[in-house]
Amino acid sequence: MAAAVGRLRAMPGGLGNALVIAALVGLIVVLALGFRRDPHDIRSAAVGKPAPAFDLAALDGGGRVALAQYRGKVVVVNFFASWCVPCREEHPALVRAWERYRTSDVVLVGVLYQDSVESGREFVRRLGTTWPTAIDDDGRTALGFGVFGIPETFFIGRDGVIAGRHIGPIDEATLIQGIDALRKTP
Amino acid sequence: MNAARWALLAAVLAVGVAALFAAWPAPAGPEERVERIVAELRCPVCQGLSVADSPSESARQMRDLVAQRVAEGRTDAEIREEFRRSYGDWVFLAPETGGPAALMWLAPLLLVAAGLAIAWSRTRARSPDARGSVAGVIAPQPPPAAVEQLRARVAREEAADL
Repeated sequence: MAAAVGRLRAMPGGLGNALVIAALVGLIVVLALGFRRDPHDIRSAAVGKPAPAFDLAALDGGGRVALAQYRGKVVVVNFFASWCVPCREEHPALVRAWERYRTSDVVLVGVLYQDSVESGREFVRRLGTTWPTAIDDDGRTALGFGVFGIPETFFIGRDGVIAGRHIGPIDEATLIQGIDALRKTP
Repeated sequence: MNAARWALLAAVLAVGVAALFAAWPAPAGPEERVERIVAELRCPVCQGLSVADSPSESARQMRDLVAQRVAEGRTDAEIREEFRRSYGDWVFLAPETGGPAALMWLAPLLLVAAGLAIAWSRTRARSPDARGSVAGVIAPQPPPAAVEQLRARVAREEAADL
């Protein structure tokens, strides 16, 4: 490497020096841009696009839960599982948000992710989940939404477009903020 | 053209033909297509693993989806597009080929081209016809007097059995 640089510097007319400096500056720029990015900030491709339609079996065994039936409402889709500890942590915030909006034009939908139906039902029963929940048996709904790891929460506007997404346990303020922003838009 | 240049041309030709042969798309059956597609998809719950290499549930579900789409008769491009819609370019292990990323794909080719140019110019610099004679390449002969002195010294040391 040193020998190669030496040969480059030996090139005529300062061209070698210019090349070495250009390469160093390029490297610094690339590293500076690369290190400024937060590796945990995964931009979802799903945000800004129509939410992928789903029609899933209800977790309580009674009928189906389809996105199409909530058209014209603000829909919050929450991916959860009984094995997911942060899902348990965020649950009280979801309960409070649901109590606040359940009589309005807002729907909260829980989607069970990579979990057995029995465990999912036990989770819902023990924690007191009263909003509609569905089973994503083959994971197609999660794949369609571009889920990385649960808990993940998606905010869908009245037009059916995904307006926002929250990775990790969500709090009540974030839920209210996301929902109210979408309720204001017609 | 000298021997070194012929060797250089032959090497470039051999590598070129081998690369073309390796990269030529072979007709693939459904299973090979599934393998090819999942090998290029990034598993969302892993650290830098492909769907083909990951034992996770998410990877299994993605593989099932790819297999189903292949069975439905979708093209590779359509299947990739479906994953791009939900996960973006992130989902592909190989970076995109268009835009500024093209520079990254071209960089190795440019480096090889630069290396070949250097090799080409150096083979000319060493060829006899460029220098006019081989005298400049081989170390100059010492003057006859110095040779005689060295011979005498060797004879002396041999006699002394050093």
